Amino acid sequence: MFNFKFNSISDAIFMQSSNGQYHGLYVWSVVLIVLLSISVTFLVYKAQIKNIGKKIK
Amino acid sequence: MIKKFIHQFASPKTYLFQVDRAYPYIFYISLFIYLAALFWGLFLTSEDFVQGNSYRIIYLHVPASFISQSLYLGMAFASAIFLIWKVKLSAYLVRSIAPIGAVTTFIALVSGAIWGIPTWGTWWAWDARIISTLILFIMYLGLISLHDSFTDNEKADKFLAILVIVGSVNIPIIKMSVEWWSTLHQTASITVTEKPAIDPSMLYPLFGSIIGFTGIVICLVILSSKVQILKREKNKSWVKDYV
Repeated sequence: MFNFKFNSISDAIFMQSSNGQYHGLYVWSVVLIVLLSISVTFLVYKAQIKNIGKKIK
Repeated sequence: MIKKFIHQFASPKTYLFQVDRAYPYIFYISLFIYLAALFWGLFLTSEDFVQGNSYRIIYLHVPASFISQSLYLGMAFASAIFLIWKVKLSAYLVRSIAPIGAVTTFIALVSGAIWGIPTWGTWWAWDARIISTLILFIMYLGLISLHDSFTDNEKADKFLAILVIVGSVNIPIIKMSVEWWSTLHQTASITVTEKPAIDPSMLYPLFGSIIGFTGIVICLVILSSKVQILKREKNKSWVKDYV
């Protein structure tokens, strides 16, 4: 259950499926979009809190 | 008794001090669970017999979809509390949740579209589940714009609360769309009443990613509500002490 399912890092990047198709592009682009969206949202709110705090002071 | 309980714990000041204390614990624990679940799902689970490795998008798409609908229900609940008991923290929360809901719905739509390319052969279909989710996204954006278009915050809060409750009719439509209509989108793999259609080795990291992502989104709601409270209570003396 906890064995690494890819033989190498490049296998994990390209994610070739048994039907021969490469799915890495789809999977990694979704990972990137999710992490980026969440990180940017965090940064925007942190910056807003900082700005409002400065104005109130 | 409920009214007394709500008013005791729902002052913006008490809320801010409480969430400030809880925030780091929620953030680090959720982040750890989410990243561990993603690692498990992306590298340690076997590929799907039908979808191949593209199914791994499930660990990002499902938590976002689940949260985008849950946040709306949270908004509807907070709106009801605001309208019934006039708790202003609830009104702040409704406005705070909306942008986070828009972000998670955006993630659900985009991840679904990308997942659709290898599995359906198209990134978009005029399918009941996709359209109802797109409506949810537009509703989130519309609610934010509507609230911000008012100059009187009290009126804006009231309008927003009523519209949120009316719009909550879309949530059961999203949920049941795959049952009521013939859709490209598959039916639910996990239900409360039936045994999950997913193998446990794929299911456990999915639960982990849902729990972790929920915690991360709660942290975002905390930050967003902090912005609302500081903006709206900026003239109160305790806010000056707080910042």
